[in-house]
Amino acid sequence: MSEDESPPLDLRPEPPCSSSSAVDSTPNKSRNCISSSTASQTFPDHVLENVLENVLQFLDSRCDRNAASLVCKLWWKVEALTRSEVFIGNCYALSPARLTQRFKRVKSLVLKGKPRFADFNLMPPDWGANFAPWVSTMAKAYPWLEKVDLKRIFVTDDDLALVAESFPGFKELILVCCEGFGTSGIAIVANKCRKLKVLDLIESEVTDDEVDWISCFPEDVTCLESLAFDCVEAPINFKALEGLVGRSPFLKKLRLNRFVSLEELHRLLLGAPQLTSLGTGSFSHDNEAHHQSEQEPDYAAAFLACKSVVCLSGFRELMPEYLPAIFPVCANLTSLNFSYANISPDMFKPIIHKCHKLQVFWALDSICDEGLQAVAATCKELRELRIFPFDPREDSEGPVSELGLQAISEGCRKLESILYFCQRMTNAAVIAMSENCPELTVFRLCIMGRHRPDHVTGKPMDEGFGAIVKNCKKLTRLAVSGLLTDQAFRYMGEYGKLIRTLSVAFAGDSDMALRHVLEGCPRLQKLEIRDSPFGDVALRSGMHRYYNMRFVWMSACSLSKGCCKDVARAMPNLVVEVIGSDDDDDNRDYVETLYMYRSLDGPRKDAPKFPLLREKAPCISDRSCSEVEQAWVCLQYQRRYSSLEPLRGGTGGVKAISNYGLVLEGMRRAKARGFSDVSH
Amino acid sequence: MEGCSRNGEICPKLLNLIPQGRRNWLQDDKTSVYSTEEKKLELKLGPPGGEEDEDGTSILRRIKRESKDKSILCLAGNHFSPSSTTNKTTSHKRTAPGPVVGWPPVRSFRKNLVNGSASKLGNESTSKNQKCDDESGRGKTMEPKREGGMFVKINMYGVPIGRKVDLSAHNSYEQLSFTVDKLFRGLLAAQRESSSFGEEEKPITGLLDGNGEYTLTYEDNEGDKMLVGDVPWHMFVSSVKRLRVIKSSEISSALTYGNGKQEKMRS
Repeated sequence: MSEDESPPLDLRPEPPCSSSSAVDSTPNKSRNCISSSTASQTFPDHVLENVLENVLQFLDSRCDRNAASLVCKLWWKVEALTRSEVFIGNCYALSPARLTQRFKRVKSLVLKGKPRFADFNLMPPDWGANFAPWVSTMAKAYPWLEKVDLKRIFVTDDDLALVAESFPGFKELILVCCEGFGTSGIAIVANKCRKLKVLDLIESEVTDDEVDWISCFPEDVTCLESLAFDCVEAPINFKALEGLVGRSPFLKKLRLNRFVSLEELHRLLLGAPQLTSLGTGSFSHDNEAHHQSEQEPDYAAAFLACKSVVCLSGFRELMPEYLPAIFPVCANLTSLNFSYANISPDMFKPIIHKCHKLQVFWALDSICDEGLQAVAATCKELRELRIFPFDPREDSEGPVSELGLQAISEGCRKLESILYFCQRMTNAAVIAMSENCPELTVFRLCIMGRHRPDHVTGKPMDEGFGAIVKNCKKLTRLAVSGLLTDQAFRYMGEYGKLIRTLSVAFAGDSDMALRHVLEGCPRLQKLEIRDSPFGDVALRSGMHRYYNMRFVWMSACSLSKGCCKDVARAMPNLVVEVIGSDDDDDNRDYVETLYMYRSLDGPRKDAPKFPLLREKAPCISDRSCSEVEQAWVCLQYQRRYSSLEPLRGGTGGVKAISNYGLVLEGMRRAKARGFSDVSH
Repeated sequence: MEGCSRNGEICPKLLNLIPQGRRNWLQDDKTSVYSTEEKKLELKLGPPGGEEDEDGTSILRRIKRESKDKSILCLAGNHFSPSSTTNKTTSHKRTAPGPVVGWPPVRSFRKNLVNGSASKLGNESTSKNQKCDDESGRGKTMEPKREGGMFVKINMYGVPIGRKVDLSAHNSYEQLSFTVDKLFRGLLAAQRESSSFGEEEKPITGLLDGNGEYTLTYEDNEGDKMLVGDVPWHMFVSSVKRLRVIKSSEISSALTYGNGKQEKMRS
């Protein structure tokens, strides 16, 4: 994003056709501006601007738009006027004010917050990524806002209420991996957003406020096209849902939660044959209802009536004996998600053998290598495969292995994306996949046991991953695991020309590994590393490129605070967030987690106050040992150093980095008051 | 998370590694640490020397790292990262003593929900630890903790949307009654828009004495439904779990019927 420069105010008369703002911020040699210019002098610029506006409005790709905006000031201005969907990959890369200052006509916002490792408890709760400042700013600036798509953002019920109140034309709300809100917030959106087309709650934590939010939808015909609430862990009013579906003629996508039984699903399907995407809810029957009814509903007939269903998911509490009911739709399916269904190969095979058109398939490893072989035999159009572990522990049995991977690579040549959890793997199978599947763009292999080598040869998994980066020329996302030496990273750095996202865990031998990656991989944007022996030397080796990356995450590595300080000092537009242990002594230099990202607006003001986290361990009585206090520090070095601001600590444990020279005295004073360190 | 619950079990054994006398190192060393810290404050214009291991600290570092594993929400509190500063080449030879936070990288809701389907089909035996996952995974659910506030839910008959009220900000039943009126008066009026013309908002009165159209009830920590106002305020606050405003005419029936969620939802 280019920096804003404050433009000169141009008092040229308002061009008749364009609806741009009165302040024209384009400096131009032919318009020197304060006095009013003649029409002939400005006419060509009006035309140019209008032409540009009419052309640029067709640009959809944000990369194209970003490029166009760099041509010149006029193009920058017109592009800003015509951009209606804004994508912000890191909510802390800029402030909401900057968004609204630059883009005046935004109808759709895609916003991402926490880094992915936050999903695995590697980040303190209350870390941030709050929607509140965004929604309050947009409420004033974009009353015409239609769509909000949030990922890993903390959204409160109040935020949702503000959305519902501020945007009369609001159409789409998509919340992926979000939290902080409950069914009461959803109820407000359902009730007040009369033009709502899409309400998708995907893998989000939704608190059960015991509100019948389904009944809050308006009574008349709705515009709903997509309603996904499979992650909502709360019972729903089925009768109201049935009514809602009945009066939503445009509804195509419906994802039910596990509180909807098979009987209820049956009733819904009979009333909504136009559905194209269905999340089946529990797929088990409600015991009471089952015993009462004499005859079981004909589930297969209901599915048969749904000729348009191409995407099937759910099966949250699957009763496998009812699975054959879905046979009628299998032949049409392009997407099948069995990742909550613990089914054996024998139950699985009859189904998959019918799914010839399948392109996206998610499942649990309970289908075993045998099931994967069946997939390989049938699903020749497969593009995306995800196999999740039924028992996600390091030492679990692991029913899938290199055999399944090999089979898939041989059968599904068009494969583009794979996520595969397993307990054992061989280089040979990975190499085979690299050779058989040239279209791979996403390769994520998770060998669950840490540092596991090739279980046949005993060698590290270097050659396998090396082959992936060498042979899969379109690879943009890579996640590695198993026993890996620096050699694997040498391959990545050298051959990973298009890699944008790299996830590393428990891998590598030395700083050289990370250096290979930072000195290679020209397109690297997102780097997440945990529990790997990479230290300061490696971190410094990447300083030439951190401004070109969205973020870097390194936790449980070998970084020191001093080095992080140096990086922060050298790169003023980089926000360096550091967590260290709170204890004062020898450990004070250890960096537990480093999360750094470029930002146009400096370190955030909403960094959590500490003590961030205070957990009393049940087995320890000694208070000083038992309280784990995380100190949270945001570093940003300005060229000029501002005054000190002591950070209040809990039981005397405040970790911070500061500029020693000027603040020594201040630090002494603060120390005398009980702070262990101060920062600015 | 699985790792954390297991760490909870393992902890006592690990602590035995710390000799008794050294368990209070945090307190004991404070003065000496203070002076070393002051030394560190002295200007060093060269590159930071934080990585240098001081003698005898590597053990402490490792022990301290282990102490982190106790917390359920600890960050990547695993057992072998500290040695990485000293043993860069032997990382792959470390044997994992126990599970680790956030590994394997499977989101908690995937772990929890798998439990449900396992009971229906005996394909693979459910691991005992899954139950713990349930709790720690759910425990992670962040209802934003407001410091000092004692918020309880309050629902009102005829109003589909509930509110929350901070009992710690109230001192008496009168105050509470006033707040209820404030919270629901507008909402109730909005619900009645269709029936009565004009936007008259009737105040909600008589919540405590049985004289008004509505009565305030609550559910206590034993699950029983009670009329608000019988016990001293502080006793009420200590036992109340949620509030409900019901129609006075429904008092006898509302208080005797169970509060099954399903019942309420299937009405």
